Amino acid sequence: MAWTLPKHLRDVLERGLDRQVRLAVTGLSRAGKTAFLTSLINQLRHAGLDAQLELVSAVREHRLLGAQRVDQPDLSIPRFPYDEAMASLQASPAAWPTPTRGMSELRLAIKYRTRRASRHLTGEEATLTLDLIDYPGEWLLDLPMLQQDFHDWSGTMASLMTPERRAFMSTWLEKASAHTPDSVVEEQTLAELAAHYTDGLHQARRDGGFYFIQPGRFLLPGELRDAPVLQFYPLVQLEGWSREALDALPADSLYQTLKARFEHYKRHVITPFYKSYFQRFDRQVVLVDVLTALNSGPAVFNELRYTMNALMQSFNYGRNGLFSRLFTPRIDRLAIAATKADHVTPDQHDALQTLLSTLMSQPLQDMRYANIPARAFALASIRATTVKKLENVTPNALALSGRTLEDQEVLLFPGDVPSTLPDETFWARQGFSFTPFHPARHTSGALPHIRMDALLDWLLGDKWL
Amino acid sequence: MTDPRPPRYFEMPETDTSVHWKPPHAYDTTTPVTVWEPPASAPENGTDSALDRALARPGKRRRGLFALLAGSLAIGTAQCGVAVYEAWQYSNWFSGLWAGLGVLAAGFLARGVFKELKRLSRLRRHARLRERLEDDSAPVGTLDDLARHMGLGRDDPHLLAWQQAQADHHDERERQLLFEHHVLAPRDREARRLITRMSTETAALVAISPMTLLDMGLMAWRNVRMIDRLARLYGLELGYASRLTLCRHVLSNMAFAGASEIAVDMGAELVTMNLAEKLSSRAAQGLGSGLLSARLGLRTQRMLRPLPFREEERPRISHIRRQLWQQVKGSNEAEPR
Repeated sequence: MAWTLPKHLRDVLERGLDRQVRLAVTGLSRAGKTAFLTSLINQLRHAGLDAQLELVSAVREHRLLGAQRVDQPDLSIPRFPYDEAMASLQASPAAWPTPTRGMSELRLAIKYRTRRASRHLTGEEATLTLDLIDYPGEWLLDLPMLQQDFHDWSGTMASLMTPERRAFMSTWLEKASAHTPDSVVEEQTLAELAAHYTDGLHQARRDGGFYFIQPGRFLLPGELRDAPVLQFYPLVQLEGWSREALDALPADSLYQTLKARFEHYKRHVITPFYKSYFQRFDRQVVLVDVLTALNSGPAVFNELRYTMNALMQSFNYGRNGLFSRLFTPRIDRLAIAATKADHVTPDQHDALQTLLSTLMSQPLQDMRYANIPARAFALASIRATTVKKLENVTPNALALSGRTLEDQEVLLFPGDVPSTLPDETFWARQGFSFTPFHPARHTSGALPHIRMDALLDWLLGDKWL
Repeated sequence: MTDPRPPRYFEMPETDTSVHWKPPHAYDTTTPVTVWEPPASAPENGTDSALDRALARPGKRRRGLFALLAGSLAIGTAQCGVAVYEAWQYSNWFSGLWAGLGVLAAGFLARGVFKELKRLSRLRRHARLRERLEDDSAPVGTLDDLARHMGLGRDDPHLLAWQQAQADHHDERERQLLFEHHVLAPRDREARRLITRMSTETAALVAISPMTLLDMGLMAWRNVRMIDRLARLYGLELGYASRLTLCRHVLSNMAFAGASEIAVDMGAELVTMNLAEKLSSRAAQGLGSGLLSARLGLRTQRMLRPLPFREEERPRISHIRRQLWQQVKGSNEAEPR
């Protein structure tokens, strides 16, 4: 180019020409966001060479020329650690990429040969800019809090106190019940109570496998560690107090102190995060780790359903025209994916996909009503196992061969996936236990995957026509 | 009068309605294994499809005709055989030779009938496979059946490309997508080229032919040739009877199913024709027959393609019309590619 536009102006021009996509990779912590992003970047960089992307129509037609990392728009955010993730997959023994602990961003320029009639005027080569953002899944759960005030939030938290969860939070519950909403509590005591609450959250997440952990920053505070803004907790015992009576309490009462901190948290922690990263998306992929939820039992599974439902309310969906694309972009296409499909045999993929659709039935209904195309996938970003057919056991029996987290080579039939959630007697009788696997050591070429290509074609296929 | 009966509880039958899922099971790592591939062949289902029944003639008439034909063939062969024997006994050489010739003729006839029946059944099996693939619930391996049925050799480059593109986790829909791209798309392109070429040639021939009778003959001959070639492209060999069945089906399809589509096309066509007629009535005639021929070709292609076209990639007459017109008026700038 003989003359260069200012960067910002170029962005606007590209958006206007529909040559820029911001992809929202949504998933709770441990759902496989980092692995997904690593694989996505890897596949696109190897597109047309050795990546197995047969289901991407542009690759089939030999139109996709490849992708390169370019300068990201926001230079104050770290770059997505792609090289580190690849290094951990190539190490011996190979390991999954380390979980995300902060924000990171990456911009890919995807080059392709266009098929549009305008190619005669503007040239055949075109570039699609893809913005990817990685963030800790824990923080995502703060988004539903934006729509609540302290009273509502406390009510939600109280309704979530199932006996299983109560077991993890017992210390905090016991200590917190000593203080009534109108009492005046010292700063030091408040900090201790908040610490107990945080410990309880950590335990519920780690040992119980629970998903709906609010506030998310308590788990990964970053630079906010020990700041008073992270020292609050919900009041779960508000029986006998009306909302008016609580609102009339003096400013130094426990209720008002906690309320003030909650509001501060919302305004100064969640809102900036939401505004700068979550408002401007064009496409979305929702990653759900269904198998781990099945392992943890019906309570956790139902909570996953509740969590995903609450989460999906935080995004803008709708059709994009030229103006809305420039000023208020909305998500106009959606993929939901059950990750770790390589942890079950291929004949179970249908069931996995159906189970995912059942799990997400409420959001899917809303999408349908809003006329947003949505599709469910059974996906494995990085394939850790290979499928084998057993010769002399039962005819056509399939098994997976791979390395477990205990570093053992196994040949395993991991169990059937139910296509609907089984009833209680089944859980009491049998339950599920899907084995997690280590990734196979990656040497060269593109990462092996399951259905990343179908997902890519669904999400971006209409953009690189 | 009897009292109304009181409610009564019945014993529930003891059925276990709960679903069982197989628990995980670890095998010994030394268990012999092979590389897993999706199952390759589907059980042949014997139910006739609706299209199949529509394609078949009424059974009674056909059976009577068949019995008559087979009977006369058998009796004729037997009589000729007896005649040969007698001729040998009484050294009546000439009548013997005639009888031998008769046996030979009967053999040829039988072979011809057998071949026709085989081709007809292939056409019917093709229709059945197609219908099975259309409703999206085809059992695993239908595509492999189709590939075999299309007569693709083991070393066919398109088939090889398709097989190479597959991965073990692909489901039936994904395999079908790849099949369309690797195996059918090249044939579709070829078919379109063929239709364009044949219909432009027909248009040119009709435009220069001096007699109406010759026009009719030309049209019939060339269109049959085109249908034949299209069928061969999609892996079908047409015999006399199967060609007749196909033609009949294509024509009835054009007359009924495609009526609305034709109406849409007609609008543009009428304008073109009116314009053409102003220039030359011969050219208009040629263009008209060319368009008809092209439409017949497209309809045949649509019926023969083992997987139905998706709406957006269905070939349309408008793609061909322009090339046709340019051919007729004699400019070569739009050489059919």
